[in-house]
Amino acid sequence: MKRITGYLRWLVPTALIVGLVPLGGAIASAVGAPAQGGSATLNGSGSTFQQPYNEAVTGAFKQKNPNVTINYSGGGSGKGRQDFSDQVVDFAGTDAPYSAADAANVKGGKYFYFPTVAGPITVSYNLSGVKKLQLSAETLAKIFQGDIKTWDDPAIKADNPGVKLPSTAITVAHRSDSSGTTQNFTGFLAAAAPTAWTLGTGSTVSWPADQQAGQGNPGVGQIVKSTDGAIGYVDFSDAKALKLKFASVKNKAGKFVAPTVKATTAAVEKAQVNADLTYNPLNAAGASAYPIASPTWILVYQNYSDAAKATALKNFLNYIYGNGQKVASQVDYAPLPKNLLDKAKAQVKQVGGTSSGSTSSAPAST
Amino acid sequence: MATDAPALPAGLTKGKRPPGLIADRGFRILALAAGLMVLVILALIAIYTTREAWPWFSAERLGIFSDNWDPAHQHFGAGGLIYGTLLVAGVAVLLSLPISVGIALFVTDVAPERIRRPIVYTVDLLAAIPSVVYGLWALLVLAEPLASLFQTISDATASIPILSTLFANPSASGKSFMTAGIIVAIMITPIITSITREVFATVPSAQKEAALALGATRWEMIRGAVFPHSRSGMVAGTMIGLGRAMGETIAIALVIGSSPRITANIFGPGDTLASIIANQFGEASGTHRAALIGCGVVLFAITILISMAARAVVARTDRRSAGTV
Amino acid sequence: MSASAMPLTQSTRKGRRELKNAVATALIVASFVVALIPLTFILVYVVRAGMTVFGLNFLTEDLPFSNRFEGGGIYPAIVGTLVITGTATAMAVPLGILGGVYLNEYGGHGIFARLVRFLADVMTGVPSIVMGLFIYTIWVLPRKESGLSGFAGALALGCLMLPIVIRTTEEILKLVPDELREGSYALGTRKAQTIRRVVFPSAAPGIVSGALLGVARVAGETAPLLFTIGIVSAANWNVFDGPNTALPQQIYINASVFGGFDAAQNRAWGGALALILIVFLFTLVARVISAVYARRSAAV
Repeated sequence: MKRITGYLRWLVPTALIVGLVPLGGAIASAVGAPAQGGSATLNGSGSTFQQPYNEAVTGAFKQKNPNVTINYSGGGSGKGRQDFSDQVVDFAGTDAPYSAADAANVKGGKYFYFPTVAGPITVSYNLSGVKKLQLSAETLAKIFQGDIKTWDDPAIKADNPGVKLPSTAITVAHRSDSSGTTQNFTGFLAAAAPTAWTLGTGSTVSWPADQQAGQGNPGVGQIVKSTDGAIGYVDFSDAKALKLKFASVKNKAGKFVAPTVKATTAAVEKAQVNADLTYNPLNAAGASAYPIASPTWILVYQNYSDAAKATALKNFLNYIYGNGQKVASQVDYAPLPKNLLDKAKAQVKQVGGTSSGSTSSAPAST
Repeated sequence: MATDAPALPAGLTKGKRPPGLIADRGFRILALAAGLMVLVILALIAIYTTREAWPWFSAERLGIFSDNWDPAHQHFGAGGLIYGTLLVAGVAVLLSLPISVGIALFVTDVAPERIRRPIVYTVDLLAAIPSVVYGLWALLVLAEPLASLFQTISDATASIPILSTLFANPSASGKSFMTAGIIVAIMITPIITSITREVFATVPSAQKEAALALGATRWEMIRGAVFPHSRSGMVAGTMIGLGRAMGETIAIALVIGSSPRITANIFGPGDTLASIIANQFGEASGTHRAALIGCGVVLFAITILISMAARAVVARTDRRSAGTV
Repeated sequence: MSASAMPLTQSTRKGRRELKNAVATALIVASFVVALIPLTFILVYVVRAGMTVFGLNFLTEDLPFSNRFEGGGIYPAIVGTLVITGTATAMAVPLGILGGVYLNEYGGHGIFARLVRFLADVMTGVPSIVMGLFIYTIWVLPRKESGLSGFAGALALGCLMLPIVIRTTEEILKLVPDELREGSYALGTRKAQTIRRVVFPSAAPGIVSGALLGVARVAGETAPLLFTIGIVSAANWNVFDGPNTALPQQIYINASVFGGFDAAQNRAWGGALALILIVFLFTLVARVISAVYARRSAAV
């Protein structure tokens, strides 16, 4: 009798500690969560460029639809496209479309690009004593390639007449993860400075060895913020929140334009929209256009096995194209121009299997 | 009567299963099954990871050891990563070993009896701190001061031949092989200490007392009686610490700088097998994913080799000490 | 002549030996102090920085929508850590104890037992990230949208815990004197009964303490959770349904991606403080149990 009570004394509390928590969890979730119609959880991952916007619009959406939970884990456009392709998430954020090779590997059937907002990619820098900076595409290309190593280089001086530049070494910050922002930034450099820029374009490129790598847009921002002499490409929302200084970039018309929402809208309006709602606003024409304007999309499948998810997604998208566009300017993103918005709204109707055929390409444009 | 079979004890009838046999056999099978699980899980790990990594092995062949990790051009040579893993683990063990041995000696031979237990508990507290907290501290607290330190050292050694290549281009953010090595050194110290301490504790006190009786100072006693006895044990402890250092992922991922390459510049950014998986796996597809899983396989293989070597050394130590008085 | 020269050489040699001894002792003491420095530094920093956000709100509120700004709490991460670690423990500890029982009570030195022992040792060396990759490949991917879940993370953590529990159980069982077993057999009890009624009660504290140490170690693991649990901002008590989050994951995200924002840094420190408290609690309980055990068996 004593022996049994002896080891029960250890066994019981241990079993309690170990077993009660998951048991309690299962009970709590069975009792607590009412299985309502319309309740759904949407999981997404991908672009950190659109993450500040997603967070704001998800928060606003949740107030109207408390029984829909939206989780967005970021991780970069490359991750988003990969997770979406593996069907591990319900939707994904990406700043760049699939490459032809990757598009063939998407497993869930027909999918759509839904543009949500646009925004400038800033060239943020940290240089004590220099409050205003102007950079042309060639100079940018040479800096990010490692050809220009100090801030008082003649090329930078040429772009900034009259500005006193210190001889600090330049520390370049780029993305360590597979990034749509990298793809758009290098896309701009390749388009605007084709002879100077030699590293090509892509969600990762072969950066020179001694540069700094950051995770996500905020990660690059952190490097710029904490290192004197640093320069990096960061989305506008994060750069503002981190209180970074941004350079004005020379656009196609030859004018130095600062990254603003207005200048982004000017660039996006000029871009030609494809049938699947992808478009390219980089290096746009026009005197007031910001040359490194980045598009961004949400990837959504046409068919979902869970009908509640499809409905929730449609509601979410419709919200983005309604009140969500007002939220955009509150968090420093450019809302979509009207023609693109209308096309997007029409495309929402196709989610949830109302249109047939997995091989037909995008809807007839309205 | 004598030819009759003796009466069976009460409760036990011929042919009927004795009580409790099913439960006994059942329990035995259960225990056996549990042991089998280990086999199954490990076999599954080996099979699945090798299968997923196969496209990488077949695409690159021996190129998997080249120093050319370039996802943009679909090249995945893990030479820089293997180098980084070995370098960081090497720096960590180099920094940690003298400290660990010192602590072990302190506990077994120097410290007064009363404070030995609290010291052991304190050092074990170091082992209990999760790896991500070490990484967080290294990133937010250690990195910047180290960056200035690296810059100072780099400037100071700029004209000295070999040192100038080692300390050439210090990373501006402090994220580097060296920083990773330092934090991993702190992390593996408790392990090496505890193993070394146990080995030192097995030194027969007769030998220690004999040395002291002959007029040796404490240090001479340690050198003469403790070290020779514990040599293979210390080697085993070192190798276990090395294995742990190689498998470390998160703390390294936070402070290494994500730049896979073979370089002598230990103050510059780098990457290791484990941390590149943590950083790149989520977004990888096709050959890139296979390459990352392959890095896991390579890492696993290296840690197995080290743990086998450690076990061999430990077995030799056991045999040795079994023979001593 | 030589007689008078000797004391001089003797005393200088002795002086040099004393000096070496003093230096060596100083170095040994210094190494202990050097080891203490990072420990105190880290703990002090975590407490100080963590206390800027720590409080009832921090522990009971949901994660904010954005990691960039202040507000919210880490309640979902605490819940996630508890349910995921709890589930992993519930799976790995019984299995591990049985495995250790097999190795020590049934297997002995047979080939199969030696193989299992070797493989358990090898499994302790599997890098935790590889375990996470493995579970991602065989569990998460085939399940598509329902793959990312607390349970997937629990599987990965359970696989990490299993070999640790097996080995510590075997070590503890080895310490139970054979006389106890033999006495029990002599009285006619079967093997399973002997194990349950005689061996376990005296080994239980040690086994429990070893299991708790395994739980403490695994509660702090980040790498296996990276690809298996997804993320949430509201507490998810259901370990089987839908993504989850955990303290180590939140610390990692706030430090690596959002580390440039002060609010994220503070959140990371707060999370680190919470995690250390949980881990230390388990470690402390384990130590107390094993101390009591040591006293008990010493008294026997």
